[in-house]
Formats: sequence, structure tokens, C-alpha cells
Amino acid sequence: MLEARALSASYGATPALAGLDAQVPSGAIVALLGENGSGKSTLLKLIARIFRPDAGELLLDGRPLSQYPRRETARRIAYVPQSAELVFPIRSLDLVLQGRAPHNSGFATDAPSDRGLALEAMRSCDVEALASRDASTLSGGEKRRVFLARALAQEAEIWLLDEPTSGLDPRHRLEFLETLSRVHRERKTTVLFVTHEIDLAATLSDRVILLRGGKALAQGSPSEAITAETLARAFDVETRVEVDSTGRRHFVPVAPVGVPDRVVRT
Amino acid sequence: MSLLQRGTHEAIHFPASASRLPILAAASLLLLVAMTAGLTWGGVHLSFRDLWTGAGEPGEIARRIAALRLPRVALAALVGACLALAGAAMQALLKNPLADPFLLGTSGGAATGAAIASLAGASPLVSPGAAFAGAVGSSLAVAALARRGGRLDLHRLLLSGLIANAFFSAVLLGIFSVASSQAARTMLFWMMGSLADASLARIAALLPYATLGGAVLLLSAARLNLFAVGEENAAALGVDTERSKRLVFLAASLLTGAAVAFAGVIGFVGLLVPHAARAAAGNDQRILLPVSALSGAALLVAADALSRTAFAPAELPIGAVTAAVGAPLFAWLLLKTP
Repeated sequence: MLEARALSASYGATPALAGLDAQVPSGAIVALLGENGSGKSTLLKLIARIFRPDAGELLLDGRPLSQYPRRETARRIAYVPQSAELVFPIRSLDLVLQGRAPHNSGFATDAPSDRGLALEAMRSCDVEALASRDASTLSGGEKRRVFLARALAQEAEIWLLDEPTSGLDPRHRLEFLETLSRVHRERKTTVLFVTHEIDLAATLSDRVILLRGGKALAQGSPSEAITAETLARAFDVETRVEVDSTGRRHFVPVAPVGVPDRVVRT
Repeated sequence: MSLLQRGTHEAIHFPASASRLPILAAASLLLLVAMTAGLTWGGVHLSFRDLWTGAGEPGEIARRIAALRLPRVALAALVGACLALAGAAMQALLKNPLADPFLLGTSGGAATGAAIASLAGASPLVSPGAAFAGAVGSSLAVAALARRGGRLDLHRLLLSGLIANAFFSAVLLGIFSVASSQAARTMLFWMMGSLADASLARIAALLPYATLGGAVLLLSAARLNLFAVGEENAAALGVDTERSKRLVFLAASLLTGAAVAFAGVIGFVGLLVPHAARAAAGNDQRILLPVSALSGAALLVAADALSRTAFAPAELPIGAVTAAVGAPLFAWLLLKTP
């Protein structure tokens, strides 16, 4: 169980989180929804211990995250960035092997068993053929899957994914979601992901945290947290909710709230 | 059997370290060849055979001349290794292929620190300490100038290095134009580098600084691999990034300070060598750092041999030789960098 209590963080003078209270139950898939700048990515980076909060607490199993040794949290929590600019050449396999760094003394990454894990993870994410390619020459989607393979090789129980489906073509998007669901099923991985796809949040997750201005505006099951009313407050858009023949809800943003002269009809 | 416990045998197709030993051996060989050139070339050219197996007077003379040259060759090797290692480590730490102790003003700060100490009459044993203080001070100032929105901006970093270099050049010029009767020669030493004052005592004074700084960087190599992908990457994988940054930065400044204190400012070694080494050995810092150190030593020994022979008996400043090779390469790198 991950829990944020009155969590605040800022970039210099710009506040990013302003007293966030939120819970991520173990084994659940949790979506973080919210407009640009609402603090979604910041929350992931605080949990990944990339930044430190200004105030408030992050608890892992009831104990402050900052009290854990860093390597221990890195073994338990994997972070998949939205993108990574690679300046130096690095073989994809070596990038995946970095997931083994927190498991080994001195952050070394080349025990034979580690290579086996890394290659198996790459096969799972359909990037085994890219193993000896320079990762800095891969496309955005390929790179994303290489980083996903790395999270797999890291054998972490909690995954933090920053906009994992953005920039993926439909086939790789579906494959990615399949892999994610399979890993979640097999390993009971807790998944916390940031997304702008309301439909994806509503269908994939067990729980949704809706952010606005660095605070949780709503959280709970998708049907509780995602309604036309909460979406209007979170995004300033009027949303039409459509239910398809399978009973699945779809959310179609139709007009900005309070800007009648810029109404968009779909 | 879980998803990830199968298939360790595939690892055979992707050996991680198969090429490590040959590359280290090649770099060592390169250093050996350079050192042989360093001992035999010069105002008087020695034959290799006289030096190693020569009997009687020719052999005796060759060995005596070589013995006179040995401290200089050893100092060149040590200084070259220090500069290349510092450059390679800073490149990985900052995820920036243009990081170099000379370009970023670290060497200039070190030279100013050491020059002030030597003018104040401090013993040569203290001058690496003063150079280290100058290096750290300069790096901190450059980093503060280059910081924008909490991160180091590449272009601002280079501009800040330029500012620091201009400033330290002015300070050095100012100091020597008022202070010393031997101003011109000393100034040339600090600003263009020289290995002419090499002695066993100076090598002995440099060695502890070089060993300490080098050991810290080599032990940080696996962490630097994570930094080379990005600081956030290193943090997310369990590295205490603030502590690692301080440690690597201080060790690199120590190496730069030590090199500058005994050989003045020699540019471009820290830029040139890691790039060549990366092209040959890849970007695994555990290989790249030792290969850079060995190749840096080889490069400076060779450059020194060249500076002594090209216009013998006159001697070129060693910094002029490295800059003549380094500046065009830097231009090429700048064009290549997005």
C-alpha cells in the first residue's frame, strides 16, 4: 500500500503538488488523471525518489518512504519515464540490464543470471530483436517498450508509468496493454499510471485518482471518480458519456466549460 | 516457472564483457609505445636497441639520457591520465559529451589557485591543494551560472566555461604582469602547460592526489553508467544522486587540480580522449574510465615527445600541441551535437 499524506512539492517557485492525499492499494491498477500541470508526473517522481517532497509524507506499507534505503525502494518500485533522451550510445540490452542495478552490489549489471532475466523481459515486450541495437537510435515506441522490459527485469512490485501509451501506434498500444495486464495478473504488480486517455483510465484501472492543482479532486473506483461532473471540474470540459452495447462507458469531451463562443460540436 | 526464470542460456549470444580485456590491453600497448617514443625522441635521438640492449658506451649514454627523460615521461603519463579520467567522468555525470575540465573553466580556476599559492611562496607540496580549491571554486561558479530552472543547461554551461576562462586568463595575466620578474615564462607555464620542470619529487607529490581521485572515479563507474542515461534515471534506480554528484565532482576537481598544479593548463585532453575511447570501447564506464586513463597518458606522452622534437632544440608548449589537435575535434563535436 502506497499512501500520500498532505504531500506538497514544487519546482523552484512553481508549486506542483499542494497537500495531496491519496491511496494506492497493493495489487491494484490505479490511474492518475488530470490536466497538464496538475501534478501527475510529479507524484510519480516523488514516489520514485527522483525528487523530495517539500512537506507531507509518502508511506510505503505504513512506513515513510524516506526511511527505506534507496536501493530497497528501487528494488520494489520501478519507474518508466515518458521519454528519455539518450545522449550516449547504449545497447538496448544494457539499458534493460540497468534494471538489475539495485539488486546487485556496486550497481553492477552483468551477472549471467541478470542477462537471462533481461532477455526474457525483452522477449515479453517484443523487443528481443532490438537487444544489440543502440537504444539511442530506436523510435519512441520501441524505446518505451525497452524501458518497460527494464521495469520487468527490475522485478519490482510497484510500477510507475508516465503516459505509457502516448506515441504508440494502435498495435503496439494494444500489445503494451496486454503485456501490462499479463504481468499484473501473474505477479500481482501494483500499477500507478499517468494518462490523458479517460477511456483507458475507466476501463483498465481498479481505482482512479483525479488531480487538479496538485490536489485530489476525486478518487475511488472508475465509476465513482469519473463522471461528467468530476471531469468538468478537473478539465474544464463538458463531457458526453456514452454507454456501448457491452455496457462500457466512453467519455467524449464536447466543449470547454464556460467558453460558449468556442464550443466544439462533435 | 515464471515468465522471467527461463532462458538464461540465451545470454551466451550477448556477452557483456567479452571485449573488455583486449581493449584494455590495446590501450596499455598504446601507452607503452608512446612511452618508448617519449624516452627515445628529443633533442638527441636515441636508438631503441642502444637503450635496451646496448653494451659499452653507446648503451650507457642512451640509458643515462633516457633516465633524465624518464621523470618527464612519467609526469606526462600521470597528468594525461588525470585529465582524461576527469573529463570522461564529468561527461557521464553531466550526460554531456562536451564536458571537459579545460572548456568548463575548471583548469583555469586550478591554475589561478596554484599560481596565487606559488606567488605567495607556498611549497610545491601545497600547490595541488590550492589548485584543487581553485578548481572547485571555478566549477561551482560555472555550475551556478549554467543552472536554469533547476537543471544544467548545455549551452549555458559552455558559455559559462568561456566566461570563467576569460576571467581566469585576465587574473593570471594581471598577477604576473605586476608580480614576477620571470613573468613571461611562468605565465606560459600556467596558461599553455609545460612538463619541463618534471622531477621525481614532483611526481611523488602528484601521485597521492591522482591515486585518490582516480580510485574514487573508478569505484563510481557503475553508478556513472546510470547517470549517463540521466540523473533521474540514476535516482530511480536507487542511487543517492546528490551524494554521488558531490563525490564525482570533487574527485574530478582533485584530478584536474593536481594535473594543473604540476603541468599548468593543458587543454582538450579531457575532451579528446574519452571520445576516442568511447568509439573504441563503448560507453560502459567500467571499461571507458580505465581505457580513457591509459589513452590519456599515452596521448600526453606522445604530444610531449612531439613538442620536444618538432622544432628541436626549441620546445613547443604542450598545450599548443593538444589544442592544435583538440580544437578541430571540438568544432566537429559541436556540429554533431543536436
